Amino acid sequence: MQISTRQIQKTNTRKKIIEAAYRIFSEKGFSVATSVIAKEAGVSHGSIFVHFPTLNDLLVCLLSDFGDKMGASLHILTKKYDSIESLLEEHLNVLEEYEAFYSRLISEINLLPNEAKSTFVMIQSTVAFHFSNIIEREIEKGAIKKLPIHMLFNTWLGLVHYYLLNKEFFSSPNESVLRRYKVVLLSTYLNLINQKSEE
Amino acid sequence: MKTCIACGMPMENISDFAANDPGKDYCVHCARPDGEMQSFEEKKVNLTRFIVRTQGFDENVAGKMAESMMRKLPAWKTFFE
Repeated sequence: MQISTRQIQKTNTRKKIIEAAYRIFSEKGFSVATSVIAKEAGVSHGSIFVHFPTLNDLLVCLLSDFGDKMGASLHILTKKYDSIESLLEEHLNVLEEYEAFYSRLISEINLLPNEAKSTFVMIQSTVAFHFSNIIEREIEKGAIKKLPIHMLFNTWLGLVHYYLLNKEFFSSPNESVLRRYKVVLLSTYLNLINQKSEE
Repeated sequence: MKTCIACGMPMENISDFAANDPGKDYCVHCARPDGEMQSFEEKKVNLTRFIVRTQGFDENVAGKMAESMMRKLPAWKTFFE
C-alpha cells in the first residue's frame, strides 16, 4: 500500500511539473531556468531532476505529450468535416486552443532538439493528411486551382504562421491573434485557391 | 480508442481498421492490398513520399522525419534498438 501511495505521489508530482512547464514555456519560451518551473509547479527544485535528469528530458516528454494531444484533437475534429472551408476553420480552432505553446514551438524550433522538429512534422502531417484528401478531390472536380498539394498546404501554413509569429503587430497582448483574424484568413485563402474566385 | 501501431492514427470507425477488422491493431493506410501490415521499409518509403508530396520537404529530410516519427510507434520499436 505504502509503495502505491508513493507511486501516486510521484505520478502527481510529474504531472504538476509537466503542466507547469507547459504554462511557463508558453509564456516565457523554452530557455527558461528549471527553478522557475519548480516554483510554478510548487515542488522543490531537486524533485524536477528526480523526474527529469535534464531540461532536455523534460522538454522531450512535454513535446511528445503536446504532439499526441494536438494530433488527437486535429484528427477528431477534422474527420467530421469534408469541405476545405470547414477543415481549415477547425484547423484554426485547434491552433487557437494551443496558440501560446504552438507559437513558441514554431518561433524557437531551430534552437530545439530534434524531438521538437519531429513533433512539428507530426502535427503538420496530421493536418496535411486530411488537407490533401479533400483538396485532391476538389482539384479533380475543378473547384480548386490545379496547384501542387504541398504549395497549397504551405501557402496556408505560411499565412497562419506569419500572423502567429508576428502577433504583437496584429493584436493586443492578451488577445488571440487567430480568433481576431480567423474569418479574414480563411476567406482570403479560399479566394486565392478557388477556381472561380468569389466576386 | 485504439490507435494504429504503425502510424499512430486514431481508429474510430470500422473503415479505419485494416480490412474493416476492428481486431487489427493497424489502420487501413498501413495495410497492403491483401490486408497484411506493410513492412518497415514499405512504411518508411510511403511516409517519406507522403511528406514530400504534401509538405514539399527535401527527400532526405523527409526520410529522416519519417524515421523519427516511426521510432515512437510500437510496430517499429525493435528496428531502432
